[in-house]
Amino acid sequence: MQRAGTADDAWVPTTCNGCYNQCGILVHRVDNAVTEVRGDPGHTNSNGKVCAKGVVRVLDLYHPRRVLTPLRRTNPEKGIGVDPRWEEISWEEALAVVVQKLEKVRREDPRKLVIANWDHGQRKIAAVWAAAFGTPNTAGWTPSTICGNGEHPLLFAITGTINVEIDFVHCRYALHWGVQKGAMVDSDANSVSGRIAAARRRGMKLVVIDPVCGPAASKADEWVPIRPGTDGALALGMLNVLLNELAIYDAAFLQTHTNAPYLVRPDGHYLREPETGKVLAWDASQGRARPHDAPDLQEPALKGQYTVDGVVAEPAFQRLREHVRKYPPAEVARITTVPEETVRRLARELGENACVGSTITIQGKTLPFRPVGVDFKKGVSGHLHAFPAGLAVVLLPVVLGAVDVPGGMLGHREGPWSAVEEGPDGIAVGSARYSLGDHFVMPYPADHVGRPESADVRELFPVRLHTGFMTLFSLLDPARFHLPYRPEVLIHCRTNPMMSLFEPRAMAEALKRLDFIVSFANIINETVEFADIVLPDAHDFERTDLFPGTFPGYVPGLADWCWALRQQVVAPPAGVRAWSEVLIDLAERLGFLKELNELGNAVWELRYPWRLEPDVMYSAAEIAERQIKSVVGPEHGLHSFREHSALRFPRTVEEAYSRPFLKSRIQIYWEYLLKAGQEVAAVARQLGLEWDTSTYATLPDWRPCPSFEEERRDGYDLIAVNFKLPFHFSTITAENPLISELSELHPYAYKILIGRRAAQARGIQDGELVTVESRVGQVRGRVKVTEGIHPEVIAIPGTFGHWAQGMPIARGKGVHFNALVPMDLRRVGPLSATYDFCVSVRVTRGSEARR
Amino acid sequence: MTRYGMVIDLAACNACNTCTVTCKVKNGTPPGVHWRRVLEDEVGVYPSVRRLFLPLACMHCGTPPCETTCPTGATQKREDGIVTIDYDLCVGCQACVVACPYGVRFFHEDRRSYFADRGSPVPWPLEGQALPEGVVSKCDLCLDRVLDGRQPACVENCPTSALHFGDLGDPRSGVCLLIAARKGRQLFREKGTDPSVYYVD
Repeated sequence: MQRAGTADDAWVPTTCNGCYNQCGILVHRVDNAVTEVRGDPGHTNSNGKVCAKGVVRVLDLYHPRRVLTPLRRTNPEKGIGVDPRWEEISWEEALAVVVQKLEKVRREDPRKLVIANWDHGQRKIAAVWAAAFGTPNTAGWTPSTICGNGEHPLLFAITGTINVEIDFVHCRYALHWGVQKGAMVDSDANSVSGRIAAARRRGMKLVVIDPVCGPAASKADEWVPIRPGTDGALALGMLNVLLNELAIYDAAFLQTHTNAPYLVRPDGHYLREPETGKVLAWDASQGRARPHDAPDLQEPALKGQYTVDGVVAEPAFQRLREHVRKYPPAEVARITTVPEETVRRLARELGENACVGSTITIQGKTLPFRPVGVDFKKGVSGHLHAFPAGLAVVLLPVVLGAVDVPGGMLGHREGPWSAVEEGPDGIAVGSARYSLGDHFVMPYPADHVGRPESADVRELFPVRLHTGFMTLFSLLDPARFHLPYRPEVLIHCRTNPMMSLFEPRAMAEALKRLDFIVSFANIINETVEFADIVLPDAHDFERTDLFPGTFPGYVPGLADWCWALRQQVVAPPAGVRAWSEVLIDLAERLGFLKELNELGNAVWELRYPWRLEPDVMYSAAEIAERQIKSVVGPEHGLHSFREHSALRFPRTVEEAYSRPFLKSRIQIYWEYLLKAGQEVAAVARQLGLEWDTSTYATLPDWRPCPSFEEERRDGYDLIAVNFKLPFHFSTITAENPLISELSELHPYAYKILIGRRAAQARGIQDGELVTVESRVGQVRGRVKVTEGIHPEVIAIPGTFGHWAQGMPIARGKGVHFNALVPMDLRRVGPLSATYDFCVSVRVTRGSEARR
Repeated sequence: MTRYGMVIDLAACNACNTCTVTCKVKNGTPPGVHWRRVLEDEVGVYPSVRRLFLPLACMHCGTPPCETTCPTGATQKREDGIVTIDYDLCVGCQACVVACPYGVRFFHEDRRSYFADRGSPVPWPLEGQALPEGVVSKCDLCLDRVLDGRQPACVENCPTSALHFGDLGDPRSGVCLLIAARKGRQLFREKGTDPSVYYVD
């Protein structure tokens, strides 16, 4: 503000990397120092706004403990709290060690290399680098569990996108289920908070289902507390009320846009036309079975039983209706603790507000109007059986026809290319081009099943999105999965699995099994403490990423398409390099630059004349320039991002509300899981693995978490859950001094939340020190006695309780929830590698647990 | 006559605390000094319970008790309604801190930094060097920005647009229309301070 007349004073547009949402921001640079961050009005995902997590990132650049020079470990012993005894070395020395280790594994078996990162933008370079090196082991470790493994595969099958958002421009009734959307949490956190606030002012009713009454529930019209891990039962009960008690569903939508009319044989498989193999539907108008895509199929039946060539078959919808009768509201109330009348009322409110049959005209196009939405995240998906639970939740908008139509649940598409595609049997699935260069595995058709070749044993999870954290299980016990090699070397960047997964002791053991770890780091966190070599990494304000550097932060509906860029605001300090640039350097030193560039040409969709030459070392910025020209057009380039962080293109109504214009069908009946489950079971048998494949079912069922059964004995009488705060993200924010100070002042941030009655029963006073103990770990902290929590639950926010020496601000503050979570294969959901974070605990006064 | 003030939409505020830290980064306030905060408390009994959020900063009162209390004239109410502190005149007696019913004035004991063992070049304004020690400070509605025709930093960043800045002296201004339409109210109106910050539900 006092800088008039200085030589360097600029607002540089770029993309925030403070969480996964990748908001467009403007960063103020004065005399080559970053002083301020504001939202970029030129990007729809920020609209000129930025959240607390983004604002404070200025300080991270200037952290006094920032790693500014390569370090070598001199203490061969590794462990929690063990001083690595770093010694400073030169880049040449450091890279020589790294090259030697990488040369060895590449010569022996390149799959011995694992790359763990969670870096939006640069992971696209890391993924291609890994493929060129020859290893499949590139998945990050953290995202597999903090992400919705119970959500993303389902959404890819329904909206063709990784995330969804309700159409808050039109919605009248929104159910937020185990997600704090609107309170600066979840996908598109920043701008959706504004959209939800505006929708509520307009009169939209918002219901939040959550064991904890946090900021999102506090802003809702209604908070519905629920017993953790029972979301699937509630959703199935609501489906039962809708389909069987009220008979509210969108029959026309189900007939045309889903596989509801597909005929199912008694064995659960589709009934197919013998000659063509096509799935049959019963045409009520013709009184005979016709292929699902027959032009003369007029009135596909949704109900009833039909005999076709001697086989008694039922439409899938009939199966679903009968299936959900297993969940009468009284039984659901017993499971979930949500009162029976509330189960009925929520279903009725959702059904009635869906306005089934009504239409709306937007820009001259008449479209179905279904102003109800459902959105869910880790509250549903952080459980063992999250896949079926999530499927039950997401079937609610599907049976009401509220998918990708005005008012309903909208997919988070990033551009016109990421449309829903039609797979085998006419079934919908996300585009392989979703998030250019990411090459997400789509859940349909099932992926290859076989003996594990990858360290994350993805071959056992054919409907996964990512299974990176399974690497830890295979590291600890490689023989269990008969992996044909042992992972030896880890390249690690911008993820802190020691803190963000489960019990640190088990994590430490897994990390110690690796022969060599090289960490790219800004600061030395708990995982970096296990590294052999540390290389100083650039902050994202100091680097340029591939274009478009982002996938999640895209506003649905009629908002413009935005293709965003992350670009350098300031040069990194001397001796600091962006890790992707070091990877490219290493490719050259290891002699596979040619393979890297050729593979990059294909994956990054570079076109002539902007393809990479085989033997030239390019910077990330140079590749980005070529990618912009290839993907957007030759008139564009890095120069197109001088004013704003995004290029904007208008979106058509057909792109915004795509479902009415699509031919593919959404699955309400997951027939293909039967075969996939049989294949997984066969491989598991071969390997001698205990592997429960009974949840590979065509229709979802609710099953209890382990914490409801074997774990909930011996006085482990409360369930601990984790929740997010609006101003923290993962392990990125805890070391920021402004956020740390704010958290210390905050009534909930660094506390253990316990209900008033549960506290009284244990003689616990507000503010008192308590110990929380699970079967594998214990944590201590001060309690916040609250009315806003399910009485069977205690809640611990964030990822706190750091202990790394390199994190002096975060160290010892808050409570480390994940330390309570056992590392146990029985907690891994067999469908898409969901993980159960539902932990039975006991709480005692004072700082020592009873023995 | 111009009277700058704010309207805070409590229905929109989700306690994200973007305003809290935006203020700190923009103004370079030292540790322990929060010109803006969002207070949180809960009301009700399980399961009919919710948290309430109250963004709180200087009220730029019409009749500011801090100004009348200030023995040196350091605290002044400008013609445009913004209450300011002249650090050259402030002697740090803290009479104003006691006089303010809203608890939004802060005394700077020493020049503390967020990075205790600073070995790196923390740039302005993060060291809080503009704020001398031994004085009292508080929100000045980003006077520099307002004079520039811009909005206060907290208003600009607020993701839910819960914070509105404008001229309370102009009945056609956005803030006045909001106060009229949604029955804006002042905090501790009974104290007669006539705050320039209104809250709407």
